[in-house]
Amino acid sequence: MNTLEITGLKVHFPGRGGAPVRAVDGVSLSIAPGETLGLVGESGCGKSTVSNATVGLLSPTEGSVKVLGTELAGASRETLRAIRAKAQMVFQDPVTSLNPRMTIGEAVGEPLLVRGLARGAALREQVGALLEEVGLRADHASRYPHQFSGGQRQRIVIARALALRPALLVCDEPVSALDVSVRAQILNLLVELQARHGMSTLFVSHDLAVVRHVCDRVAVMYLGRIVELAPRDELYSEPRHPYTKALLAAVPEPDPVTQRAKPRVPLEGEIPSPANPPPGCRFHTRCPLAIDRCRVEEPAWRPVGAAMVACHLV
Amino acid sequence: MSDAPALVVENLSLAIGPAGLVDGVGFQVAPGEVMAIVGESGCGKSVTAQAIMRLLPDAIRQTGGRILLGGRDISAIPERAMRAVRGQLMSMIFQEPQAALDPLTTVGSQIAEALRQPLGRVRGEVLRMLRDVGISDPERRIDQHPFELSGGMCQRIMIASALISRPAVLIADEPTTALDVTIQAQILDLLRRLAIERQTAVVLITHDMGVVADIADRVAVMYAGRIAEAGPTAEIFAAPRHPYTALLLASIPRLSDVPKSKLAVIEGRVPSPSEYGPGCRFASRCPRADARCAAETPPLRPLGDGRLTACFHAEAMA
Repeated sequence: MNTLEITGLKVHFPGRGGAPVRAVDGVSLSIAPGETLGLVGESGCGKSTVSNATVGLLSPTEGSVKVLGTELAGASRETLRAIRAKAQMVFQDPVTSLNPRMTIGEAVGEPLLVRGLARGAALREQVGALLEEVGLRADHASRYPHQFSGGQRQRIVIARALALRPALLVCDEPVSALDVSVRAQILNLLVELQARHGMSTLFVSHDLAVVRHVCDRVAVMYLGRIVELAPRDELYSEPRHPYTKALLAAVPEPDPVTQRAKPRVPLEGEIPSPANPPPGCRFHTRCPLAIDRCRVEEPAWRPVGAAMVACHLV
Repeated sequence: MSDAPALVVENLSLAIGPAGLVDGVGFQVAPGEVMAIVGESGCGKSVTAQAIMRLLPDAIRQTGGRILLGGRDISAIPERAMRAVRGQLMSMIFQEPQAALDPLTTVGSQIAEALRQPLGRVRGEVLRMLRDVGISDPERRIDQHPFELSGGMCQRIMIASALISRPAVLIADEPTTALDVTIQAQILDLLRRLAIERQTAVVLITHDMGVVADIADRVAVMYAGRIAEAGPTAEIFAAPRHPYTALLLASIPRLSDVPKSKLAVIEGRVPSPSEYGPGCRFASRCPRADARCAAETPPLRPLGDGRLTACFHAEAMA
């Protein structure tokens, strides 16, 4: 059984002008046990909405989200509570993710305490072990968040997410707010924890190099839809969708020789509004290859080699 | 680029209260050249930019050094005279273009303001500038307000308004950090093209080594208020000679590395200005540090290949 199974997910929000904002508009993906799936795309593509729906923070307008076989769409509060123990989230900003008035021991131990899984000395021992697991010390438990740096706070958030031994970790831009040198520490930690516990991970990021570093498979989103989903090496060595190609070409690589020799794939224009997505292929307004068919007919989601792609021209 | 430098920063020092923020920073930028100042949060790169523009917050003082614009020291001229410098001889663009533009004024009027003219008198010139920064349909955009435009377009407007008076120097403080990668690529291409065409000297403040690799001719790597290493971008990236530069570069995931492999890590954290000791500020985190590094400040010295490095162990890094 897959840890996560999302089928035909739509999440719409009421829009200002009457038309709903179709933040997520028909997304299907699955994550196998122990697998890390990367979800990449630019602002407004719907990647964070997918991750919020995955842990039950947003309810689907349509479609299905199953964690370990249990349906979240329309689930009761008790079911959602049970599922949240299995699917834990790490957010981008470690500063706002922690209550400034709680010691980090209280923060990390809270999931265990409220679910009645441990208390007293046993709780202290488990919290100490969790802190050590993420590279902090057990005696840090009595300190407050402000006594830690951004990178250390993200370690605390990760320790809290691990407390219930979740089957699925959802990381939404977990290193985007961190400095480069600290980012490496957190990425190393995530890779190490994943290998040790074998949990599944949904890794949401706008950074294609970071996603390549930690993920097994990668889904590329554009304007509420997945345009390409492929095994990592396949996606990076042989991107098929014109948007994937453009994204990869736009990543500035920290090597002047490679970077300056790189062919540019200039994308014209801006991302259209998800309240009023273009007809046909949603990418056609910016696609350098678009033909008439792309402007009227929605491309089918179909397998091409080891990848799944939605493009008439692949 | 053999011309006299457009901007020379000499031995710049800045302080907040008793604590030194920036210590003896110096560099120069030639017309048409892009010089990047790169570093992590707190390294002093943004206050350096603010000091050059004389836009420092009240609490921060310049405690030493000179800023020469076209050979003239502007670091002590009266604020009145400085107002004539800003926007005319030297302009600045910021990270959040939407926040930096006036929400109540049309795009065209804001750009015309940089020429100190009403829009009616310079409309043709403003339209040409809009076209030059890649705004499509400039006839319509010129009368729109910033909220009607995307972040990428607002940054193009900022660039238009910064460059229309043909300043000698452009300070760009994280100009693409708030933008998506495909838009970032467009803006970087635009900055490079305009720098060359208009012979503008560009000081690019960034935390992103990928952005440096893309458009900077030269780079200064800052750490804890000092320049750790500076020189031609190609040389610095190919063979960093300061341990901080080397570790910073090795800690970045790349499209060419082995997935899930261990990235290089810099242990510990950046010291705060009140913790600065007598020696090299990177010493407490440096794998090569010895007793001398903790006791003595390594001077920023030429290594003979056009670069300057502030490390006693620079030769051993080769």
